[in-house]
Amino acid sequence: MTDRSDSLLKVDGLSLSYQTRQGELQAVRDVSFELARGSALGLVGESGCGKTTVANCLMRLLPDNARISAGRVLLDGQDVLLLTEEEMRLRRWRRISMVFQAAMNVLDPVYRVGQQIIEAIETHGVESTDIGARERVARLFRMVGLDPQLMERYPHEFSGGMRQRAVIAMALSCDPDLMIADEPTTALDVIVQDRILRELKAIQQPLGMSIIYISHDIAVVAEVTDVVGVMYAGRLVEMGDTADVFRAPAHPYTAALVSSFPSVSGERRPLTSLPGEPPNLSDLPPGCPFHPRCAYATDVCRTEYPPRAASGSRWAACWHPLDATLVPQS
Amino acid sequence: MTGYLVRRTGQMVLTLFLIITFTFFLVQAQPGDYASFYVLNPDLPPEVKDQIRTAFGLDKPVWQQYLIHLKNTFTGNLGVSFGNFPRPVLDVLAERVPRTLVLFLTATAVSFYIGFFLGKAIAWRRGGLFEYAATISGAMLFTAFTPAFALMMIWAFAFKLGWFPVGKFLDPLVWRGADVSANYVFGNMLLSAAAFITFALLVMLCLKRFGRRVPSVVAFPVVLGGALVIVAVWALSGIGGLALDIVKHMVLPVATLTLISFAGTMLLTRNSMLETIREDYVMAARAKGLPDKQVRDRHAARNAMLPIVTSLVYSLIFAIDGSVIIESVFSWPGTGLTLLQAVRSEDLPLVMGAMLFIGTLSLLAHVIVDVLYVYLDPRIRYQ
Ligand SMILES: Nc1ncnc2c1ncn2[C@@H]1O[C@H](COP(=O)(O)OP(=O)(O)OP(=O)(O)O)[C@@H](O)[C@H]1O
Ligand code: SF4
Ligand SMILES: [Mg+2]
Repeated sequence: MTDRSDSLLKVDGLSLSYQTRQGELQAVRDVSFELARGSALGLVGESGCGKTTVANCLMRLLPDNARISAGRVLLDGQDVLLLTEEEMRLRRWRRISMVFQAAMNVLDPVYRVGQQIIEAIETHGVESTDIGARERVARLFRMVGLDPQLMERYPHEFSGGMRQRAVIAMALSCDPDLMIADEPTTALDVIVQDRILRELKAIQQPLGMSIIYISHDIAVVAEVTDVVGVMYAGRLVEMGDTADVFRAPAHPYTAALVSSFPSVSGERRPLTSLPGEPPNLSDLPPGCPFHPRCAYATDVCRTEYPPRAASGSRWAACWHPLDATLVPQS
Repeated sequence: MTGYLVRRTGQMVLTLFLIITFTFFLVQAQPGDYASFYVLNPDLPPEVKDQIRTAFGLDKPVWQQYLIHLKNTFTGNLGVSFGNFPRPVLDVLAERVPRTLVLFLTATAVSFYIGFFLGKAIAWRRGGLFEYAATISGAMLFTAFTPAFALMMIWAFAFKLGWFPVGKFLDPLVWRGADVSANYVFGNMLLSAAAFITFALLVMLCLKRFGRRVPSVVAFPVVLGGALVIVAVWALSGIGGLALDIVKHMVLPVATLTLISFAGTMLLTRNSMLETIREDYVMAARAKGLPDKQVRDRHAARNAMLPIVTSLVYSLIFAIDGSVIIESVFSWPGTGLTLLQAVRSEDLPLVMGAMLFIGTLSLLAHVIVDVLYVYLDPRIRYQ
């Protein structure tokens, strides 16, 4: 694990809500985490728990109906939420890039794939000449396992796996400090998925790039990340070194997630087997929002939100953590 | 691509054939025939009547007449206009068609440009006073009754303000003593316009080929310079005043047509933009840190353009249909007015010729839009 003091990103008390017809929907509540330069962080949780919303916050790419109600997002100590739109624009892709969840349509159908990557390279002045830019794209294509000649093709001539690789190449094109990969492989079949993941991992380390890896799939997250945060109903509920968290989960929700996967490194299944209903964000139960589904719930769980129980960098927000070494913080 | 063009051309020839057939039998179906004028004249002796009928080929059975007509049409022989005797129909049309084309192509180009520009702007910045004003006024103009609106324009800008002539193609007072014909001047104007458009397109093409680093700030003065050169040549040619007179007569009909039709493109662009704005590639363009304008123009608007180009062909055809109205109101001696006059005076060869022209033009518009679409959408290009 990389030196923790070399912090690239620090998210502090981030809260966000969407205005909807049904009223205000709190999609992210008091999310805090820190990411070291060159390390990989995983975000896991059921569908709708707010993973994509957190990612979009970091890039400040939010829909019009979103409002950040509290928190800071410090990139190298500077709060990106306070930047002007133009300052933010110059940091997008150059500092933080993203592989989108719906990567199938991320490439514009009317331009050649290479051209769309060159567009980003030119905007940020990463290469000073046209030839330099083209060579960089060719290099990136080789890196993600695509034939460089394909840069002259249009997106509709690419298969799903090729598009995904091209999108990853695009995300790498401006040497970002941080790449957010939001379910980068869910649309692909397992074999292609595995290969792309392995390549991603192989690329990340030599580049010294940090990654935030978002997925439902904890097996994948276990494979590629150093640190993991588990999200439930807009909150981070457990965080720590990936190996520790998945080997001995402290939060009952994490435990349920892990046990719904027979073996973390083996067979992969979607997160459907978790008992109980996923929470409704606009009507959360009081206390610990997980209590209706929790086998360990007691009265205090139903009335008061649990404090963190921590040990070193590892913590869980639970009244009754499953790992006894975690001690509640007041 | 080649196969596609071949197929398309085949379809076009077939449709053209159907149009010719249809007009022929339409004219056949009406009471009387070509020779009625003469035949009904009681002063003519019967043998002269028969002679005339034979001369026109009217003594032959209908199917034979049809075959002869078909052959003549495809060999470019459209007959002689009764009303402009002894000028051949083709000659009359060759004079009138460019006038209509110039009017409508200019109006379509201007209204498309304005409509597209406004449409993408109001879709990008939703919910301002500007959007409200543009949408309301656009919708009002769009639904206005064309002849009434055209008369209003004449009343305001020609009659009250006196900025432009009331109608017609040229002012005889200006042309008195001119030693060139109107068609000569107009023909040269068309050539200049074609030269300018080619030049502008070439500049744009070069810009695209040789590096995106050349900013449009450079291209614009170059194009403007080209325009100035052309204007200067005209000013020195001695017939510049005559050309200016024609231009003056064009302004009001073009403006009227533009005002009536830009709103269609504007509203369509707006709707199409609202769709593409939600697309992932627009989000990705923003994520890449592209400037706002580039996200809007290069990605959102570029994709929004596809359905609009399709609608362009229909609006073009409607516009040509509407040429009868507009040209009548402005006394613009183009194809529409010619058709109307030919129908009134039972100048049947000219009627058939004008109808053939309008049909051919609609077909051409379809093909042009198809080719444009193929150019704009790579997904079609490679099918
Ligand atoms: N633009 C929006 N307007 C209103 N609600 C939204 C909007 N975007 C997301 N939400 C809601 O916010 C919550 C969090 O959504 P988000 O997309 O962040 O979840 P996620 O964890 O990424 O889910 P998934 O795993 O399915 O991608 C969901 O309940 C979703 O319905
Ligand atoms: S706080 Fe209580 S309800 Fe919530 S996870 Fe822990 S034990 Fe379960
Ligand atoms: Mg998501």
